Amino acid sequence: MSAAAIIGEFLVLFGAIFYVLSSLGLIRMPDVYNRMQTATKSATLGSLGVIVGVGIWAISNVNSYAWLPKTIVIAVFLLLTNPISAHALIRAAYKSGIPLWERSVVDKYKEALEREGKEMKEGEQ
Amino acid sequence: MVKRALAIITLLLIGFWLAKGLVGVPFGEDKMLVGEYYLENVKEQTGAVNAVTAVVVNYRGFDTLGEVTVLFIASTGVGALLWRRKKERSAKSEGSVVLTAGAKMLLPFIMLFGAYIFVHGHLTPGGGFPGGATVATAFLMLYLAFKEYEIDHKVFEPLEGLAGVGYVTVGLIGLAIGGYFLFDWIWQTWQFGHENIGRLFSAGFIPIIYTLIGIKVGTELTGIVDNMIKEEPKGGGQ
Repeated sequence: MSAAAIIGEFLVLFGAIFYVLSSLGLIRMPDVYNRMQTATKSATLGSLGVIVGVGIWAISNVNSYAWLPKTIVIAVFLLLTNPISAHALIRAAYKSGIPLWERSVVDKYKEALEREGKEMKEGEQ
Repeated sequence: MVKRALAIITLLLIGFWLAKGLVGVPFGEDKMLVGEYYLENVKEQTGAVNAVTAVVVNYRGFDTLGEVTVLFIASTGVGALLWRRKKERSAKSEGSVVLTAGAKMLLPFIMLFGAYIFVHGHLTPGGGFPGGATVATAFLMLYLAFKEYEIDHKVFEPLEGLAGVGYVTVGLIGLAIGGYFLFDWIWQTWQFGHENIGRLFSAGFIPIIYTLIGIKVGTELTGIVDNMIKEEPKGGGQ
């Protein structure tokens, strides 16, 4: 077992554990927003671990450095796109009126929207 | 309730009947008749490493021409069904800043990846259809993120037609040189790239046809999205 294989296997295991945690979060969390929070963050990190881990693992076990750049490209693409999609989903959920968890305390976005609406009305008058 | 139960029973009967038919088919055994010929001769005859694209473009090129025709008819049909004199985007709000900035940033990468897929159809999995669909998703992303984005119809529709005409032209040149439609003249007659198997400049006309198909599929799917996302302008535009 070379160092690359050990690092790769550790990264894949690390990522898989984060996958399990993120799916647990989907079950455990009370509302859409909390669920998105757990699912996107830990699933993105888990994917990065698994994907880059496979690339490093291949250095010693397949004897090829060609896997690593490919996996890094995929990982960077995922790292860039996952937060954007999560943002779009959450924003769409809020705009379509999905309520926050009943024990939520602060909703600054709603306050800001109301203030903006009031100012618009005053501007019209 | 009775309707649903009857439907489930009918589906179970059909499934049982199909499974019974498949019992006689052995899995994991060497049953290839034509497939063996393809696998043994694909490199010398077509130059492609990817046997699937060689079969799809070279051995069975007519089917691909048919598929391209089906897509073209689908695009034309959507265009004809949703034809209106004045068309406007029905988007009510622009995407958030994160979304628009992300779309701007990701657009070239997605286009590049789509082009990579259809140019390397003879070497890696994929080909013209997945590559074209990837390019179309880039335009779909622009449509979803921006309120007033619209493709240039003067460029898109002629390009779509030209790509289709190019495919048929390649086939007709084969007819003139080799005696049958879609004869691979670049590989068989010119012998271009014969010592290059497994690299980019090989496989006769497969990369050329796949580039044309990729352009065609990309513009066609974008055109379908463009047609479906539009509405009549409010206030009765006559």
